[in-house]
Amino acid sequence: MKFFSRGCASSEAAYLVDAGQLGARERIALEAHAASCPDCADALRSSRPVDAALRGAFAALRERRTIIAPGRVRLAVGPAAPATTNPWLRAPRVLGRLAEVSVMVGVTLFAVGTSLEPATRSSSPLTSTPSVVQSTFRGEIPLGDIDYVRWVRLIKADASSTASDPTRLPMGGRFDYDPVEFAKGPGASPR
Amino acid sequence: MKLDARRDPAAGDARTDHDLVYAARDGDTIAFDALFYRYRDGIFRLGLAITKDPSAADEIVVDTFARAHRALARLEPDASLRPWLYRVAVNLSYNRRPRKGVILSSLDDAVDEPLANEDGSPSHVAEQAELRRLVLGAVDGLGPKHRLVVVLHYLNGLNLTEIAEVVDCPVGTVKSRLHYALRRLRTHLAAHPELGIEPSRPLMATGLRAPKPVTAAVPLEGE
Repeated sequence: MKFFSRGCASSEAAYLVDAGQLGARERIALEAHAASCPDCADALRSSRPVDAALRGAFAALRERRTIIAPGRVRLAVGPAAPATTNPWLRAPRVLGRLAEVSVMVGVTLFAVGTSLEPATRSSSPLTSTPSVVQSTFRGEIPLGDIDYVRWVRLIKADASSTASDPTRLPMGGRFDYDPVEFAKGPGASPR
Repeated sequence: MKLDARRDPAAGDARTDHDLVYAARDGDTIAFDALFYRYRDGIFRLGLAITKDPSAADEIVVDTFARAHRALARLEPDASLRPWLYRVAVNLSYNRRPRKGVILSSLDDAVDEPLANEDGSPSHVAEQAELRRLVLGAVDGLGPKHRLVVVLHYLNGLNLTEIAEVVDCPVGTVKSRLHYALRRLRTHLAAHPELGIEPSRPLMATGLRAPKPVTAAVPLEGE
C-alpha cells in the first residue's frame, strides 16, 4: 500500500525548500506556484517546523567528537613495506642469517647430545648389575621341585636376554603360517 | 578559538583533499593525518548514529581510514574525499549493526551529553531533551534507507549530490527518499503539538484520493 497519494509533483520540492536543496530562483517560482496549489502550500507551510525540529534534534549529536589519534590507523594498517631493496645491502643480511642458523643448529645438536648421553650411560649398569644370589643360584642345580622350576625359568630368562638374534618371533616361536614349498617335478601340472 | 585549534590539529591545513591525498600517496604522513583530523568526527557521528555504540563508532573511524590508507594508490578524489569516506563508513556501520533479535537502543541514547549552549531553567532543558527524544525516536522509526538519508543530511550536512555518491544512487532517488522521510516524520511528529507541526492534509495522510467526479459518457453523434 502506498503511504501517500500522489499530489502535486512540486510538493516534493516544497518539502526540500528548507533542507536547502533549492536555489533562490526555484524557490521564488515554487512560492508563486504554491499560491494556487493547496498541496504545495501545505508542504511549504509544514516543511519549516519539521526541518527545525530535525536540526534541533541532531544538534546534540553534532557536538559529539572522538579522541582517536591517527596512530590507531597506523597500527591497524601495519608496518610499511621497506622502500629500498639494495642488493648490496642484502648480502650481509644473508650471511648474518646463515650464521644465526648454523649457531642454532649447533646449539640444538649439543642439547640433544647431552640429553641422550646420561640415558645410554645409565642403561648399561642396569643390565650388568651383579647379583650374588642369582649367580649362586644359577651355579648349582637345585634338588627340590619348586627350586628346580625357578632355576629353569632363570636360565631361560638369561638365555632370552642374551640372545643375539634380532628376529622377533611371535608367541610360540612360529609365524602364523609357515611357507609350504611345493615340489615341482618336470611333469607336474599346475593342478 | 584556542581550544578549537587544539581539538582539530588539521584546522590550519588549507590544502585540498586532492592535494592531501597525493601528498599522502608520496609518503607524507602529516598529510594523511590532516585528512584524518578533517573527517574523523563526521565519520564518528555517522557510525554512532547507525550503530548507536560509541566504541563501535571509534572502530569504524579506524577501519575507514585504514581502508583509505590501503586505497591511497587507487583514490582519485576530484574535489572532496568526503563521499568516498562516508560510503566506506556507512558500509562498515551496517556490517557492525546488531543482528535481528538484539535490542537496539534508540538514537537519542547516543546523545547523552546536553547541548553546551543549552541554558535556562532545568525544566526548559528537560523539555528540550524530551522534544529531541521525540524527534530522534521518529527518525529511528524510519526505514534504513530513509533514515540514512536523513542522518547524512541533517547530521553530517551532506548535500543531495554527496548523499547520492554515498548511497550510490541517482540524485532524484535521494530527493525522493528525503521527501518521503520528511513527510513521514511530519505525520509522526504532528501528534505532538508542542513541536508546532501541523498535521498533514487528511486526504494525503490516509492515502485516499478525492474521488473523481463521475461523469456520464457523452454519446457521440451517430452512436
